[in-house]
Amino acid sequence: MLVVKNVSKHYGKFNALHEINLEFMNGVYGLLAPNGAGKTTLIKMMSTLIFPSEGEILYDGKNILDMDEEYRSMLGYLPQQFGFYKNYSPKQYLLYLAALKGIGKKQASEMIPELLEKVALSDVMNKKMKKFSGGMIQRVGIAQALLNDPKILILDEPTAGLDPKERARFRQLLSDLARDRLVIISTHIVSDIESIANEVIMIKNQQVLFKDSVGNICDSLNGCVYETAIPFDQLASFRKRYVLLSEKQEQGRMIVRFVHKGEAGVQWQQAVPHLEDVFLYEYRDDIQAEV
Amino acid sequence: MKMSIILYECKKAFTSPILISLILLFAAFNIFTIISSSDHKEELKIVNDIVDTYGLKITEESLARYERDLQDDLVELNIITVAHRTKEYESVLQFFDELKFENHNLYSEKEWDSFGQLQLKEMYFTMAKSIDEEYATIDIQKIAEYEIKRFGLTGPAAESVKSEYENFSIRFEEMKQNGEHKEWFFAGKAHRMHSLLFKSTFRQLVMESMILIVLATALITNFEFENRTQFITYATTRGRRLMTDKLIASLLATTAIVGFLMMITLAMFFWIFDYSHVWKSSINSAFTWEYNFPNVTWWNMSFITFLICISLLVYMCMILFSVTTFAISVFTKNSYLTFILFATFFIIAYMMPSFIPTSSRVMLAVGYNLSSIVLNPHVAFMGTSGLMMFKNYEWMTVVVWTGLALVSCFISLRLFTKEEIK
Repeated sequence: MLVVKNVSKHYGKFNALHEINLEFMNGVYGLLAPNGAGKTTLIKMMSTLIFPSEGEILYDGKNILDMDEEYRSMLGYLPQQFGFYKNYSPKQYLLYLAALKGIGKKQASEMIPELLEKVALSDVMNKKMKKFSGGMIQRVGIAQALLNDPKILILDEPTAGLDPKERARFRQLLSDLARDRLVIISTHIVSDIESIANEVIMIKNQQVLFKDSVGNICDSLNGCVYETAIPFDQLASFRKRYVLLSEKQEQGRMIVRFVHKGEAGVQWQQAVPHLEDVFLYEYRDDIQAEV
Repeated sequence: MKMSIILYECKKAFTSPILISLILLFAAFNIFTIISSSDHKEELKIVNDIVDTYGLKITEESLARYERDLQDDLVELNIITVAHRTKEYESVLQFFDELKFENHNLYSEKEWDSFGQLQLKEMYFTMAKSIDEEYATIDIQKIAEYEIKRFGLTGPAAESVKSEYENFSIRFEEMKQNGEHKEWFFAGKAHRMHSLLFKSTFRQLVMESMILIVLATALITNFEFENRTQFITYATTRGRRLMTDKLIASLLATTAIVGFLMMITLAMFFWIFDYSHVWKSSINSAFTWEYNFPNVTWWNMSFITFLICISLLVYMCMILFSVTTFAISVFTKNSYLTFILFATFFIIAYMMPSFIPTSSRVMLAVGYNLSSIVLNPHVAFMGTSGLMMFKNYEWMTVVVWTGLALVSCFISLRLFTKEEIK
């Protein structure tokens, strides 16, 4: 079990995270927050790249910094900015990273083609990566994170650059992997985790806002999400009064989805809240509205 | 497993197009400069003939034999000259002195060759004959006074230098007693082979090696930060210990670069210039005397021993430069900045003594730096080398700087283990 205990992180006077407490078991955890909320900071601390200013991170009761190599040997990590050697082929790069992960060359040579097959890169296994698209590079990144068959898989914005088909394939891959390991996915794209995460963690104002199942998080807006059709000319005033979640044109009118925590209006239809609704509501800009 | 990581790190340097191009360019440049300085290589062969005939050591008996042979050769020369001009000469020198331009065509190409050989033979004989006389005029205390005046030394610094020259005068006498100066070698005043090899060639080698090893070390050390792969590599099982592997890889790369350049350059040098008969000749031979003072090392060394010692000294300095570059790189994480900082460090170390009062022994102490050693390999281990003349100068400099380099390297590695990867 991975435990984040009273962890804070400061950069000078700037407080990036404040007294974070989290517990992770096997399964998929979605770390959902807008850019700049501190997701990457938390993930880098869990990857031992940076250190908590206060508090500690424990794995099975032991501080991960004290565990050092023992902890990292169980870790698979895909950073937000996946760097690569542009003159290396995926196979060469993975062989190098396998050596850093303590995997023998023979074993790595057997594993790498299988991994590249999983991320649909077996055709370009020996091609230099400088010619690869962003999506292909990201798939190499996913493959390297899986190299050591990690017990803890931490992926920071893993779907960046992937097309819808690749995203679907990736979600399927993660679901398979999460059966017997801990998978933490940091993202600001709700659809990446909505269907696969056992629990979603939302960070707001440097602290944990939610750590719960998708259903329970959505329940926080139960009975408060509505849809209604309004004329175009009322849209501006509607925006000022309610927190709008989405807007779309239909038959000359605007269909709006919004949050309202008071009495429902006429012709409003109550809607089942989705994770994206909670995300948009919680991280809304300062809306001049009475909710 | 660790070895494979080190080899992967080395591979990063040796697949760098810039580094490979520079290595090949420098090797080619060295070959070119050696070939372009080889116009007198044929003249050197006479020394091999002399050593073959009279032995390596110059003795009274061998010199007498040499003189007799020289007389015989002179007779042959006179036979030729008489046949053409009916005049006899007492020496080849006289023949060349009295030679007029219009008489050039009197002799065949083959005859000119024999005259040239005879002239060289006579020159070596004259030099050998005058060794004792020349060395008798050398007063070590006067050299000490000259050096003290040259560097403007006063007070304790001057006393230290004077005292070391007193010790050196004992060694000088011992050297004469051993007859180290009485061994055949290429005439220094005519061919300056000592300077060509240990000053020009080695200095060139040093500068090139230094550029390459600083580049290679900075490249290996900063590779992850410059390719934005630091978040991947330092989060692997190996973690920040990868930096230690990078240090070892840098030292291996340094060894390979210095080894390759030195091998190519020296192989070319000794292929062009035939040293086959003088390997064992003393480096203190009177023939290596080129400028104001003869070469006199603190220890009895043959040419080959001196060459090996200089090569090892240069290699050791390069290893220390690599360690220093590594320490700088860990802090800067930028190859260009590392290069600039290293160059600044190298120049400051070299110029440091000139910023310190010439009366202070500190001025002599800061002169114990690697920059001075690598820029003056031709006077290493010698007692006639200005402020580098101290007997223990080389090994003490290397030991002190090894300590400093290891401490800076240890500190940088320790700090890196506690550093956040950003």
